[in-house]
Amino acid sequence: MGFRTRQIHAGVTPDAETGSILTPIYQSTTYVQPSVDEYLSKGFTYSRSGNPTVKALELKLTDLEGGVDCACFGTGMSAVLATMLAFLEAGKHAIVSDVAYGGTYRLSTKILSRFGIDYTFADTSNADDVASSVRDNTAMILTETPANPTMKCSDIAAISEIAKKAGAVHAVDNTFLTPYYQRPFELGADISIHSTTKYMDGHNATVGGAVISNSQEHADAVRFIQNSTGTIMSPQVAWLTLQGCKTLSVRMDAQSASAMAIAEFLEAHPKVRQVAYPGLESFAQHELSKRQASGFGAMLWFEVEGGVAAGKKLMDNIELWTLAENLGSVESLITHPVTMTHADVEPEERARVGIIDGLVRASVGLEDTEDLIQALADALEAV
Amino acid sequence: MSRFLNFDTLSLHAGQVVDPEFGARAAPIYQTTSYVFPDTDTASSIFNLERGGHAYTRITNPTVGVLEQRIASLEGGSAAVCTSSGMAATYCAITAILGQGDHIVASTQMYGGNISLMKNTLPRFGITTTFFDPTDPDACRAAMQDNTKLIYGELIGNPGLDILDLEEIAKIGADHHVPFMVDATFNTPYLCRCFDYGANITVHSVTKWMGGHGVAIGGAVVDGGNFDWGATDKYPTITEPYAPFSGINLWEEFGPSAFATRIRAEAMRDIGPSMSPMNAFLLLQGIETLSLRMDKHMANTLELLDYLSNHEQVSWVNHPSLPSHSSFDLAQRYLPKGAGSIVSFGVKGGRNAGKAFIEACELASHLANVGDAKTLIIHPATTTHSRIDAEALAAAGITEDMVRLSVGLEDVADIKADFDTGFRAAKRVAAR
Amino acid sequence: MYFDVKGTQVFATTGGKPFDPAQPVVVFLHGAGGDHTVWNLQSRFFAFRGYSVLAPDLPGHTNSEGAPLVSIEAMADWLNGVFEALDCRDVSLVAHSMGCLVALELGSRCPDRLRSLSLIASGLATPVNDALLSAARDKPEAAIAMMTSWGYGAAGHYSRGPVPGNAMIAGGQMVMRGNSPEALHADLTACNDYANGKQAAPQVKAPVQVIVAGKDRMAPKKATDELAAHLPNASVAVIADSGHMVPQEAPNRCRQLLRDFIFQNNPAGQT
Repeated sequence: MGFRTRQIHAGVTPDAETGSILTPIYQSTTYVQPSVDEYLSKGFTYSRSGNPTVKALELKLTDLEGGVDCACFGTGMSAVLATMLAFLEAGKHAIVSDVAYGGTYRLSTKILSRFGIDYTFADTSNADDVASSVRDNTAMILTETPANPTMKCSDIAAISEIAKKAGAVHAVDNTFLTPYYQRPFELGADISIHSTTKYMDGHNATVGGAVISNSQEHADAVRFIQNSTGTIMSPQVAWLTLQGCKTLSVRMDAQSASAMAIAEFLEAHPKVRQVAYPGLESFAQHELSKRQASGFGAMLWFEVEGGVAAGKKLMDNIELWTLAENLGSVESLITHPVTMTHADVEPEERARVGIIDGLVRASVGLEDTEDLIQALADALEAV
Repeated sequence: MSRFLNFDTLSLHAGQVVDPEFGARAAPIYQTTSYVFPDTDTASSIFNLERGGHAYTRITNPTVGVLEQRIASLEGGSAAVCTSSGMAATYCAITAILGQGDHIVASTQMYGGNISLMKNTLPRFGITTTFFDPTDPDACRAAMQDNTKLIYGELIGNPGLDILDLEEIAKIGADHHVPFMVDATFNTPYLCRCFDYGANITVHSVTKWMGGHGVAIGGAVVDGGNFDWGATDKYPTITEPYAPFSGINLWEEFGPSAFATRIRAEAMRDIGPSMSPMNAFLLLQGIETLSLRMDKHMANTLELLDYLSNHEQVSWVNHPSLPSHSSFDLAQRYLPKGAGSIVSFGVKGGRNAGKAFIEACELASHLANVGDAKTLIIHPATTTHSRIDAEALAAAGITEDMVRLSVGLEDVADIKADFDTGFRAAKRVAAR
Repeated sequence: MYFDVKGTQVFATTGGKPFDPAQPVVVFLHGAGGDHTVWNLQSRFFAFRGYSVLAPDLPGHTNSEGAPLVSIEAMADWLNGVFEALDCRDVSLVAHSMGCLVALELGSRCPDRLRSLSLIASGLATPVNDALLSAARDKPEAAIAMMTSWGYGAAGHYSRGPVPGNAMIAGGQMVMRGNSPEALHADLTACNDYANGKQAAPQVKAPVQVIVAGKDRMAPKKATDELAAHLPNASVAVIADSGHMVPQEAPNRCRQLLRDFIFQNNPAGQT
């Protein structure tokens, strides 16, 4: 069945008792067992270990990614943490995209490094750089493509090949494109990670994360961490996310079309120095983007002539676009990574990976394209 | 010989079948609009009232159903219907049985919303009301007319806190074949089960003590099942064929729950003031601790009555648990566990002192709700009734120095300390 | 619907459709202290599926006039009078508790018009203890409390019925209070005195469906087994978690069993 059908129906069966067309919100900690002998016969014991509402979302995401199993978490960061805890331990080494989300960088360098895990931050947009970073103890490669906020893309198939040779797990953060546009498992990856906060929810209503595995062995490892650490998703969040998923493809198509038009507008604007959007022919990895994904997404960045001061002025003057963290929602958001999402990353590291000071990140929402462009035009006028 | 489950057990368990699919201990939140039917025969039998079941959340919802059955069970009624607010409950209950040309006899001491409904809204649709002094059952009897179809009152009146003599009023209703409907919001079934004293219908704002935490608005109508609708031809909506459901005769087929079924079949279907599943879930959490909270509300109230009665800045204290209250005997009879946690008192120094008291209190929240877990205070003369002149205030039973208090669950020593601060401020103002 | 049986007015609900004797008839007979409303989640279903439905109130119960009858035999005569008054031919008789004793008695006497019998929550006899009998005479409220406390299972006590909003125990008590003051005592006396079950049951030629409630404290399994063993043509169905008040406590399961049995043994033109 097609993606649009599956995004609506996968994982959800009408409630057996009442026929309720939507999965109920099982806001319950525990489950009554029919008898000692039938312990767990209905599948649930305690909501840290599993919850019927969360399970419905997990089944849906498994289906959409084409994987074997999915484990949902309280946040996207919990999903990243669970992936690392599942496949890394003291003495092991991981290669992480040097343009990964600032939170992933912080988790790796400030927290997990204290427990004896070694990290190399490689330029994963260059597969050779990944290959040369592999060590004997490399257990995991984590890529994020396109990356936040640089939009740099990593070649999932090539890096999966490297991981396979190294006996390492290749985990792809697929938050920006979602399985509607990009399915890492079809390209050889082992794990797909999501911040469901973004396009899956789509309405700025929840924070959540998911790890989808492409093998039972990996799935079991992630499930074990989910239950042991308890960084779980709540039933309320799962329920809201289930609703959001139903319009995922429709929103992605509309928001991506807007993003393309906005990128073209910005590229032609005299006060804009550069624009990064995978759909533009000028984008360095335009060909790779076309090859490994069926859409370009709704994230882009641009640099205004005049550096940080000009970027700030633009954001202070812009209407309609909201100055706020998060991305992927129906509301269009605009951020300044250097002072916001990536403030924790050292300046040298930022410069090295291409997060320039004047970079303005735009998450294109579902408003009318012409209104979004007009708002940008007006704000650029003020710069 | 006979054994029924007790109140606390019912407040935790009634109405809930443990989820058969997964065994979830808490009632699932059925946040859904509609329900998939297993086959057309089941669908048609639900629509035709041949069986219970769910078709659309405006009419019934499994989570709301748990709350409804729990409330019906606690109240000792035959059925309950939950609504989006307490006022919706009152409105649905009245309009289920009254129409153009009909008449209500109602207590003067009621929540302003109830008064306004009967004084302003219902007359526009041909339903008129005569109000009677709740301390005088003879006034109720005298107000009965040929077209009277309902007697209505609040057990604990507002704002005077006079107690309605349930048995006397019920007798008037029985003599006239007219149902007696009680707004039981202030007492809850824990303090008084009005059906035990002859009331026929109760309505609740479950927003208040029933829910207890000020997190959700909701109402309930409870059918006592004890009114013989068929004994008179005054109630055609119950006893005559109802066209939308193949001419069903609700009284004939549903007997003791005919009234509640009418509300379900008509008000929920045609008007739709339905409670949301999420609110039902939140209110269920509140009801689980209803008796614990009510006991503490009553204990704190008694302590504060003692404190206020002995405070030099207090000119008067009004509560039915005080022997000085004219309803003291009725309160002892109908409300032995306590006569509610609303208290009114006068601050010496008049309007400005009352205002100063409210403004100086920090712990007590200054707002117009009642029945929250938190202590609430309001000065009617400068807020809810500020646009009314002194004469009209007096008619409404409100004096310029009056403070209304909804006693919360805080440590009573802290409430007293907070009031001490308020009274010091009031004293400074009064001295000026 | 009101009609006369030997000069006394009888009420019966017809499930929301006019009574037509040309159609197969489903007659629902209530138990001690009850009335027609105990059947509202069964009767309407059949009325809208090609059957004429009759759920009468016994004399002195709710809407029917006359003095309450004090023996099962008299109730059987009366029910036969109802059949004759309305010219009921192809009858499926559905009975609950005390009603089952009446059905046995009638089934053994006039088998010609009965196409099937459904006996819910009953044995061959219903002995009633003295405490309940005397309470029914002297302290009706205590008797009502005993009856409903023992009669209802968990679904009743916890208000867990499948009709949203309904709490069935209070309704059941109201029905008992609404009957004439002598009705409950008359019913219980009739139950206690009835001794002809063992003789009557083997004479019942129509197919019989015995519906047993697994948590029934009034008609325990031993009693229902004995009933089934004495019937020449009986099938047994068990509703495991219901108490004695099956038509209300487990209405959906009960209706399904009745439907399957009656549709088969007394088919209507339209289903």
